[in-house]
Amino acid sequence: MSEDENVSRRSFLGILTGAIGGLISLGFAIPGVAYIIGPAFISASNKEWISLGSTAKVEPGTPTLFKVKVQRQSGWIVDEEEISAYVLTDDGRNFIAMSNVCTHLGCHVRWISENGQFFCPCHNAVFDKQGNVVSGPPPTPLNRYETKIDNDQLFILGG
Amino acid sequence: MGTKLGSWLDERLGWRQVWDAIFLRKIPKVNWFYTLGSASLFVTVNQLITGILLTIYYVPTPDHAYDSVMFITTQVPAGWLIRGLHHWGASAMVILVILHMLRVILYGGYKYPREVTWFTGVILLIVVIGFGFSGYLLPWDQKAYWATTVGTRIAGTPPIIGDWILRIMRGGEELSAVTLARFFGGHVWILPSILLLLIGIHLYLVIRNGISAVPKRGE
Repeated sequence: MSEDENVSRRSFLGILTGAIGGLISLGFAIPGVAYIIGPAFISASNKEWISLGSTAKVEPGTPTLFKVKVQRQSGWIVDEEEISAYVLTDDGRNFIAMSNVCTHLGCHVRWISENGQFFCPCHNAVFDKQGNVVSGPPPTPLNRYETKIDNDQLFILGG
Repeated sequence: MGTKLGSWLDERLGWRQVWDAIFLRKIPKVNWFYTLGSASLFVTVNQLITGILLTIYYVPTPDHAYDSVMFITTQVPAGWLIRGLHHWGASAMVILVILHMLRVILYGGYKYPREVTWFTGVILLIVVIGFGFSGYLLPWDQKAYWATTVGTRIAGTPPIIGDWILRIMRGGEELSAVTLARFFGGHVWILPSILLLLIGIHLYLVIRNGISAVPKRGE
């Protein structure tokens, strides 16, 4: 051992062992963390165009409820889930499709035709027929689906 | 700072004495075959870590077991790696503990005063084989199902008590949801408890008695 060498064989091996052990630990820790948190960031479903049927089924001037079944992947289970949309049209050409999920805390809103308003039973939220908040706690109007019309069939983008 | 904190802790815990007893103990001049025990321990730790991770997604019921394993392998980030490490680690563990046992036999390491270390080692070998047998069923694919059908049938061959053993292993007459659930429970709770307890005793005895030297000709 040369004079300026101040790392003993013993402590060198100690450091080397610690370093290798550290690398192996990282080799477990990095995939381990990715493995645990990974599925939390996989989105539940891919958005696709869902057919609601003929545009003629939408009554002009009043929100019409459509219910469609969609396949939803949760983990290794594929479930069929029903999503609902209220579709509004005034002229039979332009359509607004609104989600029935209240923007406050996620309860389902209902169209009350006597009042001409949407009502959420959880916290008495009221939306007008365009989905704008009239009263109650919701922070934003009802969410809207993108729509398209193909061959007189109405589609919404969702999943 | 580090040494100060270390000393503060040592004064209260006496950890340095424990550290020295484990890592700075005197050993005779030995060869690489004497690392097989440490290698077995390393693979055991690998199986513990990856096994715990697998239980985060695995579901031990006939309608979910296979799909959840496929989910781990194909969907979860690094899931293929975690499962692969557990799968290959299992084979490595069986091979390593058998080689470790052969070294102890061939070098006479089981003799006085290390008999109890040997006994715990023999039980550990059986536990490891139990792990392999029970873990093989858990993916619930064709290979798993039929291997366990055959394996439990073999366990059922002894006269008189055979049928009784077979029924207890399967949790009934046929391989079923009950079989899968009990193999899982055994694999993740019963066997690990026994394994860790025995490894604790085994390692304590290795440190307590020291390791044996390579025997010389005529000894």
